[in-house]
Amino acid sequence: MKEQERAETENDQAMKLAPDEDLMLEVRNGAGETLGVLFDRYHSPLYNFYSKLTGDRTLSEDLVQEVFLRILKYRQSYQPGTPFRAWIYQIARNARVDHYRKTPRHITFEPEMVPPVMPKDTAQKSEEVELLHRALMQMPEEKREILVLSRFQELKYDEIARLLGCELGTVKTRIHRAIQELRQNFKQLERGLAPREARPAVVKTIPPRRFGNEM
Amino acid sequence: MKCEEIGELLPDYLQGSLKAEQDNLVEEHMEQCADCREEVVIWKKLSLLPVEQPSKESRERFEAMLQAYQTGRSDKASAGLEREKRGSVWNWLRSPVGAVAWSAALLVIGVFAGVNAGNYFGNKPVHSKTSQDEIAAMHTELTNMKQMVVLSMLQQQSASERLQGVTYSRREDQLDPQVMSALVHTLRYDGSVDVRLAALDALSRHGAQPQVHKGVVDALQEQQSPLVQVALIDLMLEWRDPDAAQRLRSFVQTPNLNPTVKQRADWALSKLN
Repeated sequence: MKEQERAETENDQAMKLAPDEDLMLEVRNGAGETLGVLFDRYHSPLYNFYSKLTGDRTLSEDLVQEVFLRILKYRQSYQPGTPFRAWIYQIARNARVDHYRKTPRHITFEPEMVPPVMPKDTAQKSEEVELLHRALMQMPEEKREILVLSRFQELKYDEIARLLGCELGTVKTRIHRAIQELRQNFKQLERGLAPREARPAVVKTIPPRRFGNEM
Repeated sequence: MKCEEIGELLPDYLQGSLKAEQDNLVEEHMEQCADCREEVVIWKKLSLLPVEQPSKESRERFEAMLQAYQTGRSDKASAGLEREKRGSVWNWLRSPVGAVAWSAALLVIGVFAGVNAGNYFGNKPVHSKTSQDEIAAMHTELTNMKQMVVLSMLQQQSASERLQGVTYSRREDQLDPQVMSALVHTLRYDGSVDVRLAALDALSRHGAQPQVHKGVVDALQEQQSPLVQVALIDLMLEWRDPDAAQRLRSFVQTPNLNPTVKQRADWALSKLN
C-alpha cells in the first residue's frame, strides 16, 4: 500500500515538472485528468489576459473555463511537437472572438471600468495605477491586446507574430505605436483632460434604446 | 539618431534583446529626448498594474467540467451513442429550463387525460366549473414554478446563466413581486454590464408597477457603467417620469461624469422641457 502511495507521489512530482507539451500529449491520448496540471499553470495568466483586455471579471472567468473545455473537445487537433503556449493562446483569442460574435457589445463605449484591486500602498501610487488602468482601457482593443500579450503575458515577439499571423517587424511597429498611444492617454489623464477617445460626437450616433423588444 | 529610428529599436530594447552597441545608442538618445524616455517609463510603469487572482470557485468549476466531460466520454465508450443521447436529454431535463418544460409537458398530458376521461365517462361536461378551476390552479402553479426558476437562475455564478434567467423572466406577462425585486437587485448590483442591461430591458415593460418604477429611477444615481446610465436616462425619458427632470438635473452635477453620458442627460432634459 505504502509502496503504491509513494509511487503515486513520485508520479505527481514528475507531472508537476513535465513540460506543457508532454502533459498535453497525455491529455490528447485520453488522460483528461492531466489537464488539471495545465489548468494550474495557465488559469491565472489566462484570467489576467482576459481581465486586462475586457475589464470584466465575470466574463474573464467564463472565458477561461471555455478555453479548457475547448482544449478537451479539440485535443486531437493539438500537433505534437508544437509549442503548447502558442496553441492555448490561439484558443483563448478565438474564444473571445466567438463570445463577442454571439453577444455583440451594444455600443463602442469604453468597456465597464473594473477598478483594479489595489495593493495597500501610498495614495499617490494607487492613483497612478488607476490612471494607468484607465489609459490602457481607453485604447482600441487590438492595441491593448498587443501590449497585454507582450508586457503581461510575457510572450516573445515572434510568438506574438505567429499568434496574430503577421510579420515580426509588424509586431514591433505595432507595439511601439501602442506604447505611444498609452503614453498620450496617460498624459492627458494626468492633466485631467478627457482624452481623444471620449468623443462626444458618438452621442449622435446612438439610437435611443427601444424597450420591450427582444434583446 | 532620430526618434523614429530609436522607435524601431525600442521594442527590442524593452525586451533586452539588443546588441550592446545598439543598446548604448538607445540609452544615449534617452538622455537627450524626453519623449522617448517617457515611452520607456510608461512601459515600465505597466508592471504596477496588479496581477489579479481568479476566484476560488474557478478551480471547482473546472473540476466539475472535467468530471462531466470524462463521465460523458466513458458512457459513450461503454454503451455507444444511444446512451450518450439519453444522457444529454437527462441532463437537459435536470437543468432549470428542462425542468419547467418537463413539468409543463406533464401538466398538459394530465389535463388532456383528465378532460378526455371526463368526456369518455360522460360524467362531467368538459367545461364544468371544477375542471376550469383545476386548470386555473395548475396554471398558477406552473407560473410559480417558472418564477422560481428565474429566481434561482439570477443567483448563478456565471453571467451567461444569469442573463438567461433575465431573458426567461421576459416570457411572463405578470411578474411575481419577488421576481421583480430580484430583477431590480440585479439591475443595481450585478457584476456584469450585459446582465444589468438585460434586467433593465426586462423591467422596462413593468414600469406601471410602482415598485419597479421606483427601483429603476433610483438606480441611476449609483450606476457606474456609462452604458447602463444612458439606457436608464432613455427609459426615464420614455416613461415621462414626473420627477425625471429634477433627478436628471441633479444627476448632471455628478462630478467626473462621463462626457457622453452627460450629453445624453442634457439631451433628455431638453426633451423633457
